[in-house]
Amino acid sequence: MRKLLLLLLLAIFVFPVLFLFLKSITFSWRYPDVLPTAFSMRAWEALASEPQLLPAVGMTLFIGAVVVVLNLLLGIPAALALSWVDFRGKVAVETIFFLPILVPVLAIAMGLHITMIRLGIADHPAGVILIHLLPTLPYTIRVLRGGFDRLDPAWMQLGETLGAGVFRRIATIAVPIMAPSLRSAAVLTFVISLSQYVLTAIIGGGRVTTLPLLYYPFFNSADQAVIAAFSVLFAVLPLLFLFVWETVSSAAGRLLRP
Amino acid sequence: MSSRSAWLLLAPLLLFMMLFVGQGMFRAVQESLAFGGAEGMLVHYETLFASRSFWAAAGVSVYVALVSSIVSLVIGLVITRTFVRVFAVDTWKLAAWFPMLIPHFVAAYLVLLFFAPAGWAASVLGTMLPPFVQSSAYTGVILTYIWKEVPFVILMLLPVYQELDWRMAEVSRSLGAGRFQTFRHAEWPHAGPVAVETALIMFIFILGAFEIPGLLGVTYPAMLPVLAFDWFYQSGWSERPLAQAMMVLVTAVSLVLAALVLSWVRRGRRRSYA
Repeated sequence: MRKLLLLLLLAIFVFPVLFLFLKSITFSWRYPDVLPTAFSMRAWEALASEPQLLPAVGMTLFIGAVVVVLNLLLGIPAALALSWVDFRGKVAVETIFFLPILVPVLAIAMGLHITMIRLGIADHPAGVILIHLLPTLPYTIRVLRGGFDRLDPAWMQLGETLGAGVFRRIATIAVPIMAPSLRSAAVLTFVISLSQYVLTAIIGGGRVTTLPLLYYPFFNSADQAVIAAFSVLFAVLPLLFLFVWETVSSAAGRLLRP
Repeated sequence: MSSRSAWLLLAPLLLFMMLFVGQGMFRAVQESLAFGGAEGMLVHYETLFASRSFWAAAGVSVYVALVSSIVSLVIGLVITRTFVRVFAVDTWKLAAWFPMLIPHFVAAYLVLLFFAPAGWAASVLGTMLPPFVQSSAYTGVILTYIWKEVPFVILMLLPVYQELDWRMAEVSRSLGAGRFQTFRHAEWPHAGPVAVETALIMFIFILGAFEIPGLLGVTYPAMLPVLAFDWFYQSGWSERPLAQAMMVLVTAVSLVLAALVLSWVRRGRRRSYA
């Protein structure tokens, strides 16, 4: 009974995405066909021939990658301090860090629009990157803080006692223990950045074309198979990101470890 | 590590948050007020309160946010406590978290694909469905949020349940407590604070999120963020102060709600560990 329930659960969570892929490679699969009748790569060809698509993929990956790097640069020191040190005003600091999930980011983005224009970063990837930091940073802090909670400062001291330098202690103690948290934070950040429509539309002014900005006009088009293919693309990009992350981090691991 | 070096580590992020969030909120309030005109400073708020679309949007937004977050919380809680042991295996855990990798607007398309009048559910049932997905009851929007948020609830609750001392539940059962009483006294003191906090995060998020109602919502009543986005760009920025005023109100309500809920959670936490 429990097994059955579990399978049903997974069916609801995972099956729809496989369905999406199937839909994208059918020729014409519509009511009342329960199963597809003919297969074709037509939808993918139509999507690939969309001239704005490739530049949008590039822009989306670029913005996502920079947002991830900035999240880690700002988030690692802050999460370390929150996890390892007890200081006065900690609750206030935590509250400030969680503000972007305690208020609608849309309100902040609307408020910042004129400021961004004055600074010359509206309608520019720089402004979009900055605004994407808001919905991502609270989650990065939360995930990385959990990672530092598992990394006992005493282990780092042990490394020091054994004569390891700072660099070696980080490479052989901190990084291996923190690796899963770093990966979770990076993937979560990338997915959140990939999913932003309204923030990009407002601050990017329609001139910074990421994939979601192309998706919305597509949504009401008649061709279901093409929308399905476009949707599959959104599911593939995080996997691609994960693959690159794993490759880079295992290469870095080989270089760092003596 | 001294607290001085802690502040040094916190400084960059703290500075960014205060400058960015502070400036955004300050400007939003400023642009929602009327300076130097013949009317009072709060004229845009008065216009807002007299607007039928605003009240309709507020009503439907609170309804969608409340239903979506409560249903997601209940389903997520049931799944988490039923399958704690199963989720110790990474494969199952990742499968349950899978929808978190899918952007909200793709999830909206999935709901449309399955439940549109001529969607796949209709093919399987052999009859066209009523158009409930894109209707003023916002069924499609709520379904999408539930599909996206249940994994989030599992993500938040799983660590609590994995560290839960199940001997307490056994004691409670052997003392003759029923299932509900066991849940109430052995689980809820630990899971409750996280559950309430999770519901708060979902509620505030849904109140201010554009992505799903922007695709599956209807024109009237529109949800608050959709209406705000419309007003923000309508007729050469002339409705902008109204959009700002509306989002300032949503921000204020969110902050008050967060303050109330989080202080209640913290009090409860102290009590349960005392």
